[in-house]
Amino acid sequence: MSQLILFNITNGLIVGAFYALMAIGLSLILNLSGVINFAHGGFLVIGGYLSYTLTPYLGFWGALIVAPFLTAIIGWLVERLLIRRVYGRDPLYSLLLTFGLAFIIEDGTRQIWGAQGLPVSVPAALSKPLRYEFFFITGYRLFMVAMVAVLIVLLFVLLRYTRSGIRVRAGTLDLETVSALGINVRALRSLNFSVGIFLAGFAGVLAAGQLGLDPNMGDGLLMPSFIAIIVGGVGSLTGTLLGGLLIGVAAGVTAVFFPSASDAIMYVMMAIVLLVRPRGLLGEEGMLS
Amino acid sequence: MVSRIIARPVNRRTILKSAAAAGALQIASPFVISARAADNIKIGLDNPLTGTYAAPGKNEEIGCQLAVDQINAKGGILGRKIELLSEDSTSGDAGAAVQKARKLIERDKIDFLVGNVNSALAQAIAQVSNEKGVLHIVPGGHTDPITGKDCKWNVFRVCNTTRMEANAVSQLLYTKYGKKWHFITPDYAFGHTLYQGCEANLKKLGGTITGNELTPLGITDFSSYLIKARAANPDVLVVLVQGNDMVNCLKQISQFGIDKQIHVAGTQQELEAVEAMPPEARVGVWMFEWYWKQAGANPGLDKFVSEIRKRTGKVPTARTWFGYVTIHAYALACEKAKTIEAKTVAKALGDMELPDDVKCQPNKVYFRGGDHQLMLSAFIGELMSKGDGDPENLFKVNSVVSGDSIAPSVAETGCQMQMPA
Repeated sequence: MSQLILFNITNGLIVGAFYALMAIGLSLILNLSGVINFAHGGFLVIGGYLSYTLTPYLGFWGALIVAPFLTAIIGWLVERLLIRRVYGRDPLYSLLLTFGLAFIIEDGTRQIWGAQGLPVSVPAALSKPLRYEFFFITGYRLFMVAMVAVLIVLLFVLLRYTRSGIRVRAGTLDLETVSALGINVRALRSLNFSVGIFLAGFAGVLAAGQLGLDPNMGDGLLMPSFIAIIVGGVGSLTGTLLGGLLIGVAAGVTAVFFPSASDAIMYVMMAIVLLVRPRGLLGEEGMLS
Repeated sequence: MVSRIIARPVNRRTILKSAAAAGALQIASPFVISARAADNIKIGLDNPLTGTYAAPGKNEEIGCQLAVDQINAKGGILGRKIELLSEDSTSGDAGAAVQKARKLIERDKIDFLVGNVNSALAQAIAQVSNEKGVLHIVPGGHTDPITGKDCKWNVFRVCNTTRMEANAVSQLLYTKYGKKWHFITPDYAFGHTLYQGCEANLKKLGGTITGNELTPLGITDFSSYLIKARAANPDVLVVLVQGNDMVNCLKQISQFGIDKQIHVAGTQQELEAVEAMPPEARVGVWMFEWYWKQAGANPGLDKFVSEIRKRTGKVPTARTWFGYVTIHAYALACEKAKTIEAKTVAKALGDMELPDDVKCQPNKVYFRGGDHQLMLSAFIGELMSKGDGDPENLFKVNSVVSGDSIAPSVAETGCQMQMPA
């Protein structure tokens, strides 16, 4: 039994890392632009399907790099043409806009690539378990976790040591002052949104290898990301990362004892955090409340 | 200027509300409205076009539309043209499905209702059709009670019951693979009755169950269940989930190499799911409810396959056939009854046998008058990783057994049919 729990904790970390990747992109956009991006799952789907279309030309590795960039470009266009117009308005506007966008992307995907799921194969070297005893640690899953780790470290480095990154962090705290200092807030937000969508696109390519593709694959991954943000604390990227890992582990361990509750446990955790510590585990007090 | 650029702060409550709305996103869906004429016979299709069952829902619609076009080309039903009104029921929201059924019946005044892929939704809209006295065929919701203890005079079903599916493969899995079974079961009506059927059969055969993992519908990650299933060390891992869940589950099974250690099998398998899997995930013994590639000459089947190929570029699946057979059965019953009045047509449909060009399969295929269940053949065989002779021929049929040989008797289903006077 203890081995079973240990296995499920490790497995939960793997799953949670993936939730965290989604949630961090979502959180990045929320922090600077105040937009709760419902279409985030949609961009994930776009990333996955683009990599499917590109794989015959670029191979798995080429598509892994190019598809997220293309998704980010689509994200940038969407920000310039649509999202930008609702900044400064009641959050309801951006909610409705991205909500509608999520439907459009889902149905658009269904129109272009079909309602039926599409198979995605990963390179043979990655598609096997590493060790017989730890069969759930496949090369691909390890690769996913490594990619998530690299991306998150890269993101934190960018935010800490580059000029734009520092501006993004400053903007999260006090956008008005940042703007008063002569920084182009519009461009900063466009850049920030594109980075968030890049992460969604990347998550999509990784998810495609793990799950295959279908037009509503984003739906099932969006909710855990929201919960990761709330549990981890709004405004804190580290908190979001922690939140993602936590709900992954909680779902995994619950599956050992009450399989049918493994989905519900995430909501239970969210409820407990909201009751006991409403700002989330690492959310800064008063930051966004 | 600055104040226009700066967003209002988003607070925790807004995020909470959005999270609730994100949940709604998974179940909400757009409206589909088609043009209509006054004197046509109207058929309402209340089936998923979005969500996890969008692919089977779409294929049932394609099958329905082909049958409608064929019947209209021959002059319609009793000289009246028929038209198909399609609504998106969503894949799992019974409230939405019921609302669409009411809309079709009350506002569009349909004469005949078709739906649903999802068992729970099929049960929910059967309540509505029964209350309104509208003839209703369930094309693809399998849970037993629909033609069992909840059977209704106006409700018929063309796909198998879960019990028939369990009966079709239980014996084979037991003798071929072993007596310790572990289940991965979707946690709703369909999964529950399918599991009960398998459980009863396995007990009768003398086997044991090492565990049953009830999984939420639409879950993407099966790894924690698979870890548990493997630790239980069964002879057979029986996968009962469907749709995208089936794809995800089998894909993870093959990535983990579990299929090399434990036999993987299940009851119902569908071409939609198999085509969405990578070759290495296509493993195990299963039953198809209908399969496009059959031994022996069958002109009706060939015509059906080529018509669907012409329309979609793909072969028909069991879902396409469900849609096709639903509309044709209705038309035949109306012609037999010489009316479209629901009660008379329902009587004509009971015990009606389907002709060759509609049934597209061997064995006698007929509706049982006692429970309104179609007795259709089960195609039992194994998945093939690569297409044999045709890229879409991914299933090797080992045997085709008749529906009445796997169906429980009417008395055993618990159905007590009350035909109205």
